[in-house]
Amino acid sequence: MRILGAFAWFMLVTLLLRSTALTALAARGLVFDVLAFATVVWALRWGESWGVSFGFALGLAADLDAAHWLGRHALALALIGYTVGRLSHTLVRDRARVQAVLILLATVLHQSWAACFEIGKLTGWPYVLERVALAAVVTAPVGTFLLALVRRASGQPLFTHAAVEPGPTG
Amino acid sequence: MGGFLPPAEGRSSALLGLYAVVSLLLLVTGERLPTEALRGVGAWVFAPLDRVVLIGDRIASSWRENQHLRQRVTELELENVKLRDAAVENQQLREELQLPLWHGLPLKPVEILALSGEPIPVSALLSAGRRQGVQTGDAALTRDGLLGRVGESYPSYSRVVLLTDPNSAVACEVESTGVLGVLHFFTAPKPRLMLTGVPLADTVRTGERVVTSGLSLRYPRGILVGTVSKVGKDPSGLVQDLEIEPAARLSRLRHGFVIPGPKALEGGP
Repeated sequence: MRILGAFAWFMLVTLLLRSTALTALAARGLVFDVLAFATVVWALRWGESWGVSFGFALGLAADLDAAHWLGRHALALALIGYTVGRLSHTLVRDRARVQAVLILLATVLHQSWAACFEIGKLTGWPYVLERVALAAVVTAPVGTFLLALVRRASGQPLFTHAAVEPGPTG
Repeated sequence: MGGFLPPAEGRSSALLGLYAVVSLLLLVTGERLPTEALRGVGAWVFAPLDRVVLIGDRIASSWRENQHLRQRVTELELENVKLRDAAVENQQLREELQLPLWHGLPLKPVEILALSGEPIPVSALLSAGRRQGVQTGDAALTRDGLLGRVGESYPSYSRVVLLTDPNSAVACEVESTGVLGVLHFFTAPKPRLMLTGVPLADTVRTGERVVTSGLSLRYPRGILVGTVSKVGKDPSGLVQDLEIEPAARLSRLRHGFVIPGPKALEGGP
């Protein structure tokens, strides 16, 4: 039950940030991909079963917020949640470099996939590349810095028990 | 495949498969699903939280805005004196020419609680809905210019489809010359608002103001939309490519107004 509460709370905070402060920043060119970041963090912490479920639920909520392409974020974030969750068993999850690379890759994948729906023509690819690069360059260092801050504030590693937590079906 | 995997991995793979199938189904059929009610519930859940999150930002900006608005009010009061004289003259001339008289638009103030879409917002959540008299199809604007139209109206909230929604189209005219065109938002090769369908023979210059035209079925005539920022030729060579700088700052919206669509103003359905 505790994990379900955390699941709902983390999702709510992510969606709130996305619809308020981060939208204003994004319009100024500073795209912090909070959806990809939150999915990576959740999957690193709780493993692939919870990761894929969190990614899907968060993506679906984000899709409902927009008027078109229901399922667009849900698919990409579910894949990210699953992949990061699987990798979390073999990687040193509390290492900042590992987190930075995972956030960077997740942002690139999510932003590229989301942009594909908005840019219908090939002529839009320079803009897509610029947008994806900008989001990755902002999200990876800021996300890693935020995780380092939380780790320092809590005084203990953030991602310790992923392997022993049961998934949503187990 | 599942039999070769350990149970936990099998479960997560099955979940991934299930979610992928549901997502793909939604991508294919999502446009036909009635999602308005779900978005209404989302607005009901998130709007109070959005308000709380935005309090700090709004308090900080209100002091600055207040100073700016005081200065603006003074400027407008001075301008208003001149306009009153012009209005009297205009009314007399219209009566002589037997033209219909212009009536003011009823403005309903609303708060803009949240923006959706990144990096460019495509919709905005308003603090008023059907109970406050906001109906689907009403126009939304700020003091700077047009935002878009109300696409969905819930009991206490409503959602505005902004000009930057790729499916939005607004019939416009160049204020000084009356040249007509349709405003669209294009994402390729870069995101921009374009006034389309303007013949090459019509002369349009950068800096000219673009307003909603009388041909629009959704917007009252004369609402400022933006200014022409770039004049080019369409690849077909038949029409002009006019890039429009929106008058309203769509990335920083706090307060706005809703006005009934032209049909409601005329007392129609």
